Amino acid sequence: MNCEEFAFEGLDLDLDAEVAESAAAREHLRGCPHCAALYESSRTLRADLCELAKLTSDATAPSRVEMRLRQEFRTRHTTDKSRGRVVVASWLLAAAALIVVATSLVLWQRHGVANIAGTRQSPVQPTAVHSVATGPELGGTLIAENDGEQFALIPGAIPGMLDDTTVVRVQMERGSLGALGLSVNEEHANDVVQVDLLLGADGQPQAYRLPQSNN
Amino acid sequence: MDKAGGTSGETHIESPERDDVLLKRSARGDEEAFTQLYRRNQAQIYRFALRMTGQAWAAEEIVQDVFMTLVREPKKYDPARGSLGAFLYGIARNRVMKHLERRPREFSLETKNSEGDTQVLDVADERTPAHWAEVRERRERVRSAVLSLPPEFRETVVLCELEEMSYEEAAQVLECPIGTVRSRLHRGRALLLAKLEMLRESPKRANALR
Repeated sequence: MNCEEFAFEGLDLDLDAEVAESAAAREHLRGCPHCAALYESSRTLRADLCELAKLTSDATAPSRVEMRLRQEFRTRHTTDKSRGRVVVASWLLAAAALIVVATSLVLWQRHGVANIAGTRQSPVQPTAVHSVATGPELGGTLIAENDGEQFALIPGAIPGMLDDTTVVRVQMERGSLGALGLSVNEEHANDVVQVDLLLGADGQPQAYRLPQSNN
Repeated sequence: MDKAGGTSGETHIESPERDDVLLKRSARGDEEAFTQLYRRNQAQIYRFALRMTGQAWAAEEIVQDVFMTLVREPKKYDPARGSLGAFLYGIARNRVMKHLERRPREFSLETKNSEGDTQVLDVADERTPAHWAEVRERRERVRSAVLSLPPEFRETVVLCELEEMSYEEAAQVLECPIGTVRSRLHRGRALLLAKLEMLRESPKRANALR
């Protein structure tokens, strides 16, 4: 081992170790006072650096740094979350608005302008005829047609309940109309008349009309 | 210490997978994961910054900057390129260099602990005040000598001698070949010896002139 090799490699070696490199370094040191002095200085330096390292070996960042960082972390992620929530809420609102508009459009198309006008002012136009029945006897039902004649609301009926209705034609004594809250002329109370009744979804009569044949 | 490879002491960097998982959780807003990452890595970054700058306030600022980067841009870390520890050292190195460029000659000789209090001597120690004065003077000389090294030699000395990193680890942090680490360390030691000799001589000269 020469001086250059010792300076570059020998200083890192453990000279007490029983390996070839250490033996070569020891051999070189015995014959080279310059490298021996360098080795001694280097050992002292190592010891000094070790001492310096010990001085700061347990140094850690003050706890305030962690607090500041966690605060920043919270702020950043809370902002991100709220931004996300706002975006989701906006999309939900937009979707809800779209559904409302679409539903309104469909309803408007289904009911037509005439129905809207009919709802506003009684008598009422029936929207659908779901079933028919026949029966010639008193109180029985006959064929009813949605022939476009207008129904009159029975007192106490709610116009908004007329969306899902059934029209039935019944024969009854005119006096029975009084039970529906209609005024009846006593002289004709026993006359049998045909009445078209507009039944709501709950089966209760909501409106009525007297076909032309009764008049 | 085995300089040629392996890890030793506190400089060992935790397994990348674990840090990786924590970082992912942290990026999703898990504060506990971020705190764990911080606690695991802050001390080594703080010590590196402290030993490089010699100033507790600067080290504190650098640690904050380094972890703020993790909060703001967690995706900057690419596990394929190395461990999270090495990534954090990389950011810390940049911050240290910027700091040294701004204040190249300003350094404190105070010894302060992590909370900023000046360290005190152990009064139960039976050694004489003269001995402690000598120890302190010696320490200050070494510290001054280290802090006066050019940054590239200083960081190699700090990582290999003070942080006790292996050449491999230091090379990963410094992003240079192992041979460069060895030669920088060799040169750094030589410079340190020269500076210490100079510092040792200067008080003698000052005394002789009186």
